[in-house]
Amino acid sequence: MELKAKTPAGGSLSGGQIVQRYGIVIALLLACLTLTLISDNFLTTRNVLNVLRQTSINGVLAIGMTFVILTRGIDLSVGSVVALSGVVAASFATTSSAGFIPGAPWPAGIAILIGLAVGMGCGAVSGVIVARYRVPAFVATLGMLSAARGLTLLYSGGRPIPALSETFRWIGTGSILGIPVPIFLLLGTFALAHFVLTQTRFGRHVYAVGGNPHAAKVSGLPVNRIRFLVYVISGALAGLAGMILAARTGSALPQAGIAYELDAIAAVVIGGTSLAGGVGRVSGTLIGALLIGVMNNGLDLMGVESYYQQVIKGFLIVAAVMLDQSKNKQD
Amino acid sequence: MTKTMLMMATALTMVAGVAGAQDKPKIGAAVYGLNAEFMQIWAEAAENHPAVKQGLVELTVFDGRYDALVQQEQFETMITEGYKAIVFVPIDIEAGAAAVDAAAAAGIPVFGSNTRVNSDKLTAYVGSDDVQSGYMEAKHVLDKIGCKGNVVIIEGPIGQSAQIQRLEGNMKALAECPDVKVLEQQTANWSRAEAQTLMENWLTAHPGEIQGIIGQNDEMALGAIEAVKAAGLKPTDFAIAGIDGVTDALLAVKAGDMASILQDGHAQAQGALDLAIAAVLPDYQPMSEIWTQYPDMPWADGKAKEYNVPWTPVTAENVDALLATRQ
Repeated sequence: MELKAKTPAGGSLSGGQIVQRYGIVIALLLACLTLTLISDNFLTTRNVLNVLRQTSINGVLAIGMTFVILTRGIDLSVGSVVALSGVVAASFATTSSAGFIPGAPWPAGIAILIGLAVGMGCGAVSGVIVARYRVPAFVATLGMLSAARGLTLLYSGGRPIPALSETFRWIGTGSILGIPVPIFLLLGTFALAHFVLTQTRFGRHVYAVGGNPHAAKVSGLPVNRIRFLVYVISGALAGLAGMILAARTGSALPQAGIAYELDAIAAVVIGGTSLAGGVGRVSGTLIGALLIGVMNNGLDLMGVESYYQQVIKGFLIVAAVMLDQSKNKQD
Repeated sequence: MTKTMLMMATALTMVAGVAGAQDKPKIGAAVYGLNAEFMQIWAEAAENHPAVKQGLVELTVFDGRYDALVQQEQFETMITEGYKAIVFVPIDIEAGAAAVDAAAAAGIPVFGSNTRVNSDKLTAYVGSDDVQSGYMEAKHVLDKIGCKGNVVIIEGPIGQSAQIQRLEGNMKALAECPDVKVLEQQTANWSRAEAQTLMENWLTAHPGEIQGIIGQNDEMALGAIEAVKAAGLKPTDFAIAGIDGVTDALLAVKAGDMASILQDGHAQAQGALDLAIAAVLPDYQPMSEIWTQYPDMPWADGKAKEYNVPWTPVTAENVDALLATRQ
């Protein structure tokens, strides 16, 4: 069933089918077109780069979330992992004399690896609890949401870690050929994730585990290992997002990332990945994240209150899932 | 949900407090949440109050975890446990009133600190006038741009007392400069990251038109500075101001990027605690040094209803001394 929905065998499509398959792309194009007509500043190089840079953090999180959701899981902990990786990496990258890591600032590369390791560690703990101990993902990652936030507060003493080294900040504020580094990180993450999901055996296994776990197990796939690894991937990307955020704001805040998991899940769902698992694409997620980013940016440009943005985002999520439901019903 | 560890620590302190010192009068400090720097400075000051250090009273700080209901429950606990006085920093100006009523009905005096609560049962209040700080920061921005040009205002969460009062102060200063136009005015919920995104978008919507940035707290002003830098502009070409005097803002003031108005959480905590102790111990004389530090705020035998802790503009001259207290 899922396969049929995912890979149509060509042929002519009815109008309804086109809307279903490319609805999200059409929505993004419509939003961009409308904003271009309304605001002179929307379709400028600087603003387009702004939108992409503002989307980078949620985009990276949402790509990791896609792996998890494809296996019928969910990762509620990413917002807290953003904060934990951010403060730990920052403690190695700070130039402040109040720092507590001897010899700081360490080379940015090492600080970044440490931050990634923290994210992967959190993901590994969630992954073991889900895969090995059969705790529902919702519960396991809810636990991690609380624990990682608590660890963040304990580690930082609840205070921001300021004055990050310029080399560390490059991942948030630097640019290559005029294009901000976070955009490269987002597109790099996307390209890698897309390759893994579409071109590797592991990627096919992710779909198989989510599509029909029982069949996957019977046919000898390492179901537990795959379930474990998707949380490690999500954790690592949450770590990356946390460091981009710290580098962008110049200081790692223990309150960072609160409720970021919701925007990440929203991007995945809007992008057409089914919460029932097995169906979805990381390209859809990227477009979903871009749609949220474009919408926030556009409403800011028009001077619309942020409260409306939340209402509109709410409608968008529900509409996306309704579309998804009708698709399933047809099959 | 995110503060399980702090909650456990608080619970342990409570148990230790009950078991340890039966005879000393117990005073509770119910604060709205301990996740941010300002409230930590406040709580540290309360725990380091000379009377607490010398063991005249037993102090317990309760973390309200940003939830009015949690604070209400903590009040119920304190009433049951026979606390003699309560220092209260409510999350919300309205939602705290019921808690104050309950304590007053049990005959326990409640002293407000930092954040107001809409209740006439409060014995006294020690805080700083947010209207004044809003006026001071806006005035600084307007003076720097010569009372003409365009400004933007980044607000706190709409409806919170600090947002309402700081905006009132902002507007009072803006009324004195009728030629200044407010191009944009929107909330970033006290958040640095949110303010950064907002400011990036405003710089795009109004290229070259914004001269002044009024952030209703330091975090948001700092986010705006990052947005200015990201757009390839220089913060020193803007007039930027924030409120609170958090450590990062002190560093930014030192760098010449912004102005900040220090809110003295230390004095707000110790002042309210002195009042609470005076209500519990007969013939008590205030022990905190803040009463000599601020001659404009007289002790008045601990009988006044309102104590107004003055704001201190952070300047190039006093910033190093202030930073030294944060190490």
